[in-house]
Amino acid sequence: MTSQAVRKTLKEVKPILSLNRDEARRRVLNLYKTWYRQLPYIVQTYDIPVSVDKCKKKLREEFTKYSESNDIRLVDMLVIKGQMELKEVVNVWKQKGHIMAYFKDTVEPKPKDFLSKFLNGKD
Amino acid sequence: MSQVTKLTTGLTGLVVSKNPHHTLGILYNKIMRTLQNMPEGAAYRKHTESVIKERTAILKSTTDVASIEKKIGCGQIEEVIMQAENELILARKMMAWKPWEPLMKEAPPNQWSWPPVQSRS
Amino acid sequence: MLLRPILSKLVRNRPLNSPLIQNASRVFSTEVEKLEETRPTVRKPNPVARGQLADFGKYVAECMPKYIQKIQITAGDELELLIAPEGVVPVLQFLKDHHNAQFTNLSDIAGMDVPARPYRFEIIYNLLSVRFNSRIRVKTYTDELTPIESCNDVHKAANWYEREIWDMYGVFFSNHPDLRRILTDYGFEGHPFRKDFPLSGYVEVRYDDEKKRVVVEPLELAQEFRKFELSAPWEQFPNFRNANPASEEVPTDKK
Repeated sequence: MTSQAVRKTLKEVKPILSLNRDEARRRVLNLYKTWYRQLPYIVQTYDIPVSVDKCKKKLREEFTKYSESNDIRLVDMLVIKGQMELKEVVNVWKQKGHIMAYFKDTVEPKPKDFLSKFLNGKD
Repeated sequence: MSQVTKLTTGLTGLVVSKNPHHTLGILYNKIMRTLQNMPEGAAYRKHTESVIKERTAILKSTTDVASIEKKIGCGQIEEVIMQAENELILARKMMAWKPWEPLMKEAPPNQWSWPPVQSRS
Repeated sequence: MLLRPILSKLVRNRPLNSPLIQNASRVFSTEVEKLEETRPTVRKPNPVARGQLADFGKYVAECMPKYIQKIQITAGDELELLIAPEGVVPVLQFLKDHHNAQFTNLSDIAGMDVPARPYRFEIIYNLLSVRFNSRIRVKTYTDELTPIESCNDVHKAANWYEREIWDMYGVFFSNHPDLRRILTDYGFEGHPFRKDFPLSGYVEVRYDDEKKRVVVEPLELAQEFRKFELSAPWEQFPNFRNANPASEEVPTDKK
């Protein structure tokens, strides 16, 4: 992925939104702040069994997941998708289940050692 | 007022033109003036000029709307006016786009080949 | 009294096409007649229409040489303009507003994914000219991160079609008034029409009785990488042996 990104920056490309890294960074921070300020209202309107602090932690985790991405256009694309998601959340187009999907509270951790892998029936 | 005034075009959203002959003449003049600004060799200018000239000649030959419609053969006079309006807007936009310039970029190799060329193995 | 003789005359003069007689003639003839196929499965090429399409293709290429990379006729009678991605709005506007084109109806926008190409997506615009009763197809290309200019200002119909492309392929349309998902569920991951999207999707959705809500769980199904060998020793579609060629290029004089 990174080698691809390097190759892409060498090629002449059409920008999505931002022309340089600073601009892209500002957009990311803006999006983060908007999400951050919206969190208490989200917790209230969706009535989810999660505290605001935990939501903030989750938000940070979701953003740092992509900290590796260096391509400006990739960052822009992620910001656009994040904005769309925020809109879906704020307008209550999503439902409780969609919000709770971020927390993955029903997902069992993947088996690590041999015995549990064996018992799980998958290799 | 010998001729019966037209009540409707029969097309939704298209109202009967009050003075179609006059409107059309103005529009064609405007298009011609816009086309003058384009380079001499531009094919778009050449082809559009020939269309407009032909229609202007028909327009000048008679004032009878029905016979104009018949001679142009492109629908009712209101539709012809709409086409002229569209062409005028297009011509003005064309000035910014300059599509008569040579090809801006070639497609990457094998972009348009079908079935697709397999790159590996 | 007058009617009777006339009727009998009519009966006698009836042409000999009663089913009985017809059958008899069929039984006795042994020669195989070459039947004219009345319902062919393959469209026959129409050289006149094809010539007109080629002429129109050349006309457009002459008018807009800046954007048009190639003109081709596919399946015998479908005109295609292959254009550079920057030329989407100008070409569509030209086709819509020019006197000799008037393709006022945008019937569809489609996408296509060919991962082997450097620009893996094709965006395909299908246009209809009601005035001249003809259709045209405009194709352009892009990749995951190159935005395409939205043609919503030219054709209002493009709004939802472009949302569809965005949702299914993840192609970004710049200057679109309301770009968001249209077919997939909120919180859906990935773009389903991409060739690298797994058949089962990335997640699985079920109702959890304990939590009293719908839960989303990641899904992993092991699937071997398969290569499909489509060639076979026998002929699959003999009826289509004489079908029209897949595509023919229309020569244009490039400047």
